[in-house]
This record gives sequence, structure tokens and C-alpha cells, in this order.
Amino acid sequence: MKSDPLDLKSRRLVVCLGAGGVGKTTISAAIAVRTAASGRAVDVMTVDPAPRLLDALGLNSDSSEPREVALDSVLNSRSRSAARARLRALKLDPKGTFDAIVARNAPSAAARDAILENRIYRNLANALAGVADYMAMEKLLELADDATTDMVVLDTPPAAEALDFLDAPRRMLDLLNSRAVSILDIKGGFFGGQMRMFDIAARTVLSAFDRIANLHILADVQSFVNSFQGMYDGFAERAERAQKMLRAKDTAIVVVTTAEPGRIAQAREFIEGLEAAGLKASAIVVNRMMSEIPSAAELAAAKIPAALRAKLKRNLADYAALKRREYISIKSLREALPEGARVLAAPEIGHEPRTIADLAEIGRSLRSH
Amino acid sequence: MAIPRVFFVTGKGGTGKSTVAAALAVALARRRPTTLADLDRRLSAAKMLGAAPADSTPVHVMDSLDVIALTTRAEVEAFIERIVPVRAISRRLLRSRTFGYVTAALPGLEAFLLLERLRMLAGDAALQDRYVVIDAPASGTAIELLSVPAGVKGIAPAGSLNRLADQVEAFLSDPARFGAIVTVSPEELAIKEAIETAEAIRERAKAPVIAAIMNCAPAALFEAHEIDAVGHLGAHGTLAKKRGTAEKNAAHGAHRLEKAGLKTITLPMIYTETIGMGELGRLARALETELLAR
Repeated sequence: MKSDPLDLKSRRLVVCLGAGGVGKTTISAAIAVRTAASGRAVDVMTVDPAPRLLDALGLNSDSSEPREVALDSVLNSRSRSAARARLRALKLDPKGTFDAIVARNAPSAAARDAILENRIYRNLANALAGVADYMAMEKLLELADDATTDMVVLDTPPAAEALDFLDAPRRMLDLLNSRAVSILDIKGGFFGGQMRMFDIAARTVLSAFDRIANLHILADVQSFVNSFQGMYDGFAERAERAQKMLRAKDTAIVVVTTAEPGRIAQAREFIEGLEAAGLKASAIVVNRMMSEIPSAAELAAAKIPAALRAKLKRNLADYAALKRREYISIKSLREALPEGARVLAAPEIGHEPRTIADLAEIGRSLRSH
Repeated sequence: MAIPRVFFVTGKGGTGKSTVAAALAVALARRRPTTLADLDRRLSAAKMLGAAPADSTPVHVMDSLDVIALTTRAEVEAFIERIVPVRAISRRLLRSRTFGYVTAALPGLEAFLLLERLRMLAGDAALQDRYVVIDAPASGTAIELLSVPAGVKGIAPAGSLNRLADQVEAFLSDPARFGAIVTVSPEELAIKEAIETAEAIRERAKAPVIAAIMNCAPAALFEAHEIDAVGHLGAHGTLAKKRGTAEKNAAHGAHRLEKAGLKTITLPMIYTETIGMGELGRLARALETELLAR
């Protein structure tokens, strides 16, 4: 059994993808704690941690900048590498990150304010699926620029499919694309043919909304896209850098799932989605795996009343059936596994992780299954 | 109890939402014709019933039970086709990237159109004396979905969209037409989240929550002193303790849910390798006596 199945000693970036509710944030934090405890300087960006996990990491709900997490409880202080060990955690704030990008890229203070106050911009974070994904990517670039950091662990927003996250920059760029801008710019109108079709159609829909809904949306859309003109290049350059990082050799993409049949089916779709995007999962982490079922023979020898023995046998048979259900699920996962990727098991610890020590335990126990 | 036309089944991921939706559809179909509408892209509930509908065309799965799939995308397409009657243009528009602006311009438009669709389903169900079970999104997304009419009214203070939002709100708050069910598993976090979800549905969306369904509650097996007595038996002791904890969580959880004003129905953990029609039938019978017959 390999003791470092994810090669965490040499990775610069670990990206955890997965559906909501599978424990993606827990696994991200566990990987970060494990790596930091081994003597590296690690930053972990979480998306939406449960309150207890937030506590465990010493964060509050608006910790959008990295904060140092005390490692005393998990660090082997005799280790030579302990001096470099460092863990910082932060929580993604999509709106705040977006505001910062706008401020950085806007050509003038007036342009910046025009965007920040625009009704469509204010709705964008909720309206456009993928804004949180894009902002996670943006924050990643910021963290990766810090020379004191050896490795970044990125938890991602819950997704229905892998492409939700990986494709975020492209969707974002499409939205800000100068061509799209010109389509909606009513002052333009010099383009013909196909473009003209889109132009008419897009405007028809928007003005239909305005008409039926009393929304006056068209004017807002126009001023929004106009205000983003000139900022496109900055976005495009950042997006390209992020894509390069995702494809780098020292990046590990980890798909997190549980053994439930529905979740396994979803994980298989994630693996396919990654492949379609030319990316490969390094590992699939199956979270909350049941421990091995003990042998029934042990019960025969135990000195306990017969009635209790019968109950234990029944309990054993019940859990053995659930363990077989889990086994069938994981077998189907293996069938979809890309070459060289591993299935790693993270055992259930019987309660929610509450402390750094809990996270370290999960991190340490991550192993090939 | 009064039974709504539309049952909206939601819950935290991993609490057996789709299983409960499928079992409830089976239970209702024993009384009246029933449609299971799957909002989940992976069609988990539909597949449990042995169907994989491509769209809103009903697939017949058994006596008086049909399955359909609803997607926001299809509802938006239908809407755009109504607004832009020239098909070639509406098709083209839907494929164009520019379309992102339309959804950005109207936050929640997709969700809103989906709710409007549910309202129409409820109307049809009343006319035909049918039931509809919705395998809804997980709790966070479901709360957002149900809160959309209020948001739409915020951005469209007048006009036909505002009137439509009024109608959708009236539908969601009418116990004869709409009722939410929240699934929960015997785990501390899931119980807390179920209570919060029910509260949010009642307060933010002003919609009735009929019941919480405590799923996967293990059948009683051990007395507390027996679990203590086998503590020395290693893994066997651990498994006994695990079952005891789940039993206790289920009982405490049901108590907490009742205290939060939620009628709570407990469904048994099913210890089998797979969940097939036989297992769904068992759950359906339990729902029949605990939820529908009262």
C-alpha cells in the first residue's frame, strides 16, 4: 500500500470536484491538513463549509482572506520539516472577488462604479450559473501567486457535472466577449448576415421581456455590456493562466463521492466530463466508507447469552448486506476509472469532523482501496 | 389528512429523497392515477421505477403510474418559442451564446418557468383527479426555487410577469394544490438541516410542509445495556454501537422534528444489496398507513 497515493509531497495544486453533500469540503480540508502536517506550506480554499468545519478551521462566515490555522495538535515537532509546515484557510466570497476583479480591471473609477451599481451586475452572482466557479478559479490564481505557498487545495462549488467548474472561464468570457457586446450594442448595426439574425433575435427577446414585464431591462443590459468593453483582455489572460494550471503535471484533480449508487453514477459522469475536457482525474475519493465487516465465526466463541448472540448475528447480516451494496457501487466505479487513477477510501469517523485532529485522521487514512 | 395535488419531495443529499419520491408515487398510484415528475437530471427516482423519460412525454411504468422528466432548459425553450414565434430565429437564439444575457438579465427566470409548469400540472391534476409527485432538487436549491416568485415580483413590480408571479405564489401557498415533504436521515446534521429547510419553505416561500420523512431508521434490535455488554467484542461491538446510535438518532430526531411543528414519519432502513420494486413496495405501504391514511 502506497503511503502517499496522491503524491501530495510534490503537488502544487489539488482541485476537489464533486456533487453537493458528499463531503467535498471535508476531503479538501483533510488533504490540506495532512499535507501541512507533513511539513509543507498549504492554503485551502473552502466554498461552503458546514459550521463545525468552519470552527475546526478557525474561520468565520466572512473569512475571505487566508487565515493561519494552528497545527500544534497534529504536528510532529521532532520532524525536521516541521519548520516549514503551515496551513492557511479561507472561504470563497464570489461577490467580493468579482467586485475586486472589476475594480482591478476597470479603466476608471467612474467605469467601476457604473458596473458595481448596475442591476444586472448585482444579480449576476446568483443569476449566472458559474460565477462562483469562475471566482474560485480567480482566487486560485491569487493564492498561487504567493511564493511562500507550496500547495493550494481548492474546494469547488457543488456541481451537477465536472464541466460546471472547468468550463467556468469560457462561459464567463463568452458573456464578456467583445463580439457579444457588439451584438447587443444598439449603436452598432454594421454587421450583416448571420450576425444580424442573432442581433434581431436577441433584441426581440429582450424587448419582449421589457414589454410583458415592465422591466426596462434592455437599457440595463446595454449599459452593462458597454461598461465591460475593454476589460475582456484582462479576463481572457487570467482564464488562460487558470486553464494552464489545471493541466499542469503537478496538479491533481480529485473527484469526491460517497458509495451511494446515485452518487457513484454521478462520479462516473464527472470522470467522463473531465475526459471530454482533456483532463484526467488523479483519484476518486469515496468518502464515508463503511469499515470491513467482521467474521461471524468470532461470535460463536464469544461468552455472551444466546439471545444476544442471535441479535449480533442479525446485526452482522444486516450490515453485511449494506457492505455488499457498497461493494457493488465501487465495482461500477472501477469500470469507469481512467488509466493510472486510483480509488481512495476515506472511512466514516462516526461523527462530523469537529477539530483539526479529526481532519488529520481522515487525511492520514486516505488510502488505495 | 387533506392531500395536495402536488407533492414536492426535497431533502439534503444522501437522505433518500429520490427513493421516498418513488415510493410515494407508488403509494399514491394505488388510490388514483399518479405522475412522478423527475426534476433530477440523472432521473434517479424515474430509474428506480424502471423508466428513463426523455422529456415531459409520460412514460407508463405500471397501473396508473406515469413518469415524466422536467428540465429548466426545456421550459425556457418553450417560453422563448412562445415569445419569438419564428422557429428558425428562436432555435438560433437558444443556441447562441448571447442568450446568457437573457438569463443574466432576469435572475431566476428558468426556475420561475419551472414553477409555472408545476402550477399548470397541479391544475391538470385537479381536473383529471390525479396526483403528482415531484422528485425536487436537494434542499438548498429547492428553497431557492420556491423563493423565486418573491424575487420576480421584486424586479417586476407591475405587468404580466408580476401577475404570473402572484398566481405561482397562490399555488405554492394553497394546501389543496401544493405540499412539500422533507426527507431526513438519522444523523445530527441532517436533522438540523431538515428543520431549517422546513422553516425556510414555510417562511420564505410561504408554502405548506406536510411532513418530514425520517428515512433509513434501523429496526429496534439492541437494548442499551446489551450494547454496553458487547463493547469488548471488537468490530462486533462497534457495529452494535453503530446501530444503537442510528436508532437513538432516529428517535431523538423524530422528536426534534415534531417539536419544530413537523409531522414526522419514520421509514425503516432496508438491509438489502439493492433497492428494487419489492423494497419500494415496502416503503410505499409504510407511507400509505403513516402519511396518506390518516
